[in-house]
Amino acid sequence: MDRALILEGVSKRYAGHTAVDDLSLTVPTGTLYGILGPNGAGKSTTLRMVMNILIRDGGRISLLGADPEKDRAVLRRVGFLPEERGLYRKMNVTDVIVFFAELKGVERRHARREAGRWLERMGLGEWKGAKVETLSKGMQQKVQFITTVLHDPELLILDEPHSGLDPVNQQVLRETILEWRQKGRTVLFSTHNMEQAEQLCEHVCIIAQGRKVLDGSLKEVKRAHRGNRWRVALEGPSEAADRFFADARFGPAARTADGWSVELSPGADPRALIAAVAGLDAAVTGIAREEPTLHEIFVRHAGGAATPHRVPEAAHV
Amino acid sequence: MSDVFTVLRREFLERVRSRTFLLGTVLTPLFMGALFVVPNLVGAGGGGERTFVVVDQAPAGVGDAFVATLTAPPPADAEDAFTYRVERVTTPLEEARAELNRRVLEEEIDGYVALPADVVERGEVAYRARNVSSFTLQRDLTRAATAAVQQARLQAAGIDGRQVAALMRPVELQAARITARGESGGDAQSTFWLAYISGFMVYFLVFAYGINVMRSVLEEKTNRIVEVIVSSVRATHLMLGKILGVGAVALLQVAIWIALGALGVSRSEMMAKRFGLPPGSLDVLRVEPWVLAAMVGFFILGFLLYAALFAAVGAAVNSDQEAQQLQTVVFLPLIAAIVFMVPVINDPLGGTATTMGMIPFTSPINMPMRMAAAAVPPGQIAASLAVLAVTVLFVTWLAGKIYRIGILSTGKKPTLAELGRWLRTA
Repeated sequence: MDRALILEGVSKRYAGHTAVDDLSLTVPTGTLYGILGPNGAGKSTTLRMVMNILIRDGGRISLLGADPEKDRAVLRRVGFLPEERGLYRKMNVTDVIVFFAELKGVERRHARREAGRWLERMGLGEWKGAKVETLSKGMQQKVQFITTVLHDPELLILDEPHSGLDPVNQQVLRETILEWRQKGRTVLFSTHNMEQAEQLCEHVCIIAQGRKVLDGSLKEVKRAHRGNRWRVALEGPSEAADRFFADARFGPAARTADGWSVELSPGADPRALIAAVAGLDAAVTGIAREEPTLHEIFVRHAGGAATPHRVPEAAHV
Repeated sequence: MSDVFTVLRREFLERVRSRTFLLGTVLTPLFMGALFVVPNLVGAGGGGERTFVVVDQAPAGVGDAFVATLTAPPPADAEDAFTYRVERVTTPLEEARAELNRRVLEEEIDGYVALPADVVERGEVAYRARNVSSFTLQRDLTRAATAAVQQARLQAAGIDGRQVAALMRPVELQAARITARGESGGDAQSTFWLAYISGFMVYFLVFAYGINVMRSVLEEKTNRIVEVIVSSVRATHLMLGKILGVGAVALLQVAIWIALGALGVSRSEMMAKRFGLPPGSLDVLRVEPWVLAAMVGFFILGFLLYAALFAAVGAAVNSDQEAQQLQTVVFLPLIAAIVFMVPVINDPLGGTATTMGMIPFTSPINMPMRMAAAAVPPGQIAASLAVLAVTVLFVTWLAGKIYRIGILSTGKKPTLAELGRWLRTA
């Protein structure tokens, strides 16, 4: 099976609005897949429907080859980290982890051993007998992450995994996700942070207002949105360069932090530009085609009204 | 179904390991024991010695008879009898009054009784004391004075007073309950207490553990733990495991109490002696095993019934405050069962008691009361249990629907009309 998850025309309607509208996407096995979109785009609703927490109003879902609504057993092969975290505050850390593992069908003694191993790994070895409420918020997040992965799921579904993590813990999370990926497992996560997604994802699906805007592998998406814009980097300010670009001989140009950015007309051969720049009386340090950022791609498709929040998550432990 | 057990196990262990459970299990029987023992020791406000002065102006023999009757030792089984010390003076009341009043106020004596010279003709005796509210005291004094005066009147009429007394000896009412095993001891008071405690314990446990289920549901909902759980466990399995887990804790507690009670009963003579109770006063605790089993049955089914309702309430609301409003609807029938407690115990085989015993929302409380107070026909017990069991199944099914939708709904508290819609759509 090379498809970990397939959604076909899935939708969820509430009285008054449609949270997810005719959404189709395919998550290839063994990839890091990101569902991106601004707050309220329907990311969490989609993931909850996949986990059969919400009942979909229409469409088909194939999760690891089964419909989670009909075959609930398949959910045991999935690890799910919900957007709003929560653990039993009065319980002992190890007991909490073992409890969730047991619900996923892990044998108790094995779960206990694994819990100890994971806690050591996450730097929480000393806290294994402590009550959850005595842990800091960041530590609780780690414990929750352990409950998500302890049963060794084939597919990991993380809803906004970075929210509430400080930079150090974000790094720990990133490493763990990448390691999961190395083992050939699939990771599907949602985020409203385009920069984070750009660093981590191999495949993306951008949604806004419940609808899919675009999807595909990150490389394809970027290539498809690559224009004919070229970035010319200079070592320092240069009057010759300024005069050259102000002419707009090759197309409209804009000044950047370290040089100029030129928009060639679509299909124009960039070699003429390269040759002209080479002949300038200026210290050129680089000339390259500009890759659009995910954020730019998103804005181009979803429009300014649905600009995603790019405010970094508040970092607190 | 193994997931039901996983949930059950967590609910059970987390509670049994808590300090609350230990304290509740130990303190409740101590409190209940005190309810039994203390009134017997204190004697329900009676008992003790009283000192009276008798101002005797009456014809010869009347004063002697009065004092003799008053100071006669009380019957051994009288629970709150006084013993009397009497001092006789023969000075006229007018001369002695000031001095006697002083002695009463200085608490040297409890009071005085004046037998006037014309007591046999007029039949009036003066009684003065700091307070004259004790019925037992008044009864004793009246009885002694009446006996003395009647004796004098009979004598004047030429009739032998002692012979008359022997002929007129009052009849004593000896109360005992009939049970299937034969007669058992226990007077009206201790039977009342047993019935009261049985019913109240069921009420208290159903209520306390029902609230426990509600809080547990609410905790999972507000912490969003429930999202993770229902992504691997069916919501109904989660609810079931939760109710059974909390129920197992309640049952363990009850089992410990029953074991303690059985231990007490098996040593009842020794215990009665140690606590200064009359022999046989703990016999009321000798409940037949099948009656006990039926009582436990009512408790279990009653708990399941209300726990399901409380679980639905916990799932439907978003906070403790909202829960308080909605839970009132659930415990109204529980309160009704307590309101009807006194009529049910006073006439455990009467119409009210029989009706309350058949209604499934009150029977878990009212049936154990009736069974502690009287020999309820086994057919009625079986019928009541059957009705209750069917109701439990039906209500759990309905509550499961509300629970399933409720635990994943957030936002505004649903109105009753919306709950009705949930029932139809689920």
